[in-house]
Amino acid sequence: MKVKELLAHGFVAKALPDGEREIDGVYIGDLLSWVMGRAQMDNAWITIMTNMNVVAVASLTDTSCVVLAEGVDVPADVVATAEAKDVNLVVSDQPIYETAVRLAGLLSSDAA
Amino acid sequence: MKELSLNILDVAENSVKAGASLTQILITERNDVLTLEIVDDGCGMSQDVVRSVTDPFYTTRTTRSVGMGVPLLKLACEQTGGELAIESVTQEADPNNHGTHLTATFRMDHIDFTPLGDVSSTVLTLIQGHPDTDFLFQHETDSGVVKLDTRELREVLEDVPLNSYDVMEWVGAYLREQYEELS
Repeated sequence: MKVKELLAHGFVAKALPDGEREIDGVYIGDLLSWVMGRAQMDNAWITIMTNMNVVAVASLTDTSCVVLAEGVDVPADVVATAEAKDVNLVVSDQPIYETAVRLAGLLSSDAA
Repeated sequence: MKELSLNILDVAENSVKAGASLTQILITERNDVLTLEIVDDGCGMSQDVVRSVTDPFYTTRTTRSVGMGVPLLKLACEQTGGELAIESVTQEADPNNHGTHLTATFRMDHIDFTPLGDVSSTVLTLIQGHPDTDFLFQHETDSGVVKLDTRELREVLEDVPLNSYDVMEWVGAYLREQYEELS
């Protein structure tokens, strides 16, 4: 499914410079150096971290979008940098597990 | 990073790349505060570059647009309530006294404090990869000091390369012994 399609399912876009990107799989993690070595290209990456380094790690790993769980606030400069660096940021108001379950449901019904 | 030692390795490599003849890694633990200093006598950075190294989208590499060593170290210390500062003097500004001095402080009693990890391995890796430059490593706690200065080793060893197997073995054991005395 495309990143922009998440918006019809309760996810809120903070930055959507490339909403047409396809999501392939999900990675979850908050320790950025760990995520840097493990998230796969096109994954939706779920985290609660919202500092500038998140945008950099998403850009390095080429994930399709960052899903910020728990309805966390995103600083304006992080949103601006995400727009500039072509990194999609969407917010989920649910905790990490529920967010992952919801994504899994959407991705599997999309594949069917 | 899961251990600060990996972060230290990453940042100390920058000093070597800056042409440092001596890179110092100084760790002091006092009253629940860990202070990490990485000091080199390399080519130094202009004030603009100093400001941009904490920006994750800055790097000296040309193969990608993101450099994460300093940004991750900054994050690791700030999330414990500590801070990171960098001072630098370029070779052009002062041919006799140039280099970069990074200071990061960590509150060790903070729940998000990243454990220091295996700094001995970091020191060994640096020596092994760069046997022709010098390193001073010093880790000071309330119970004592662990220290290794490759300039002193070099004096004793004369022409034996620092990264030869026997020397590396000896350095590893030397650091291990000092840490055992600390604990």
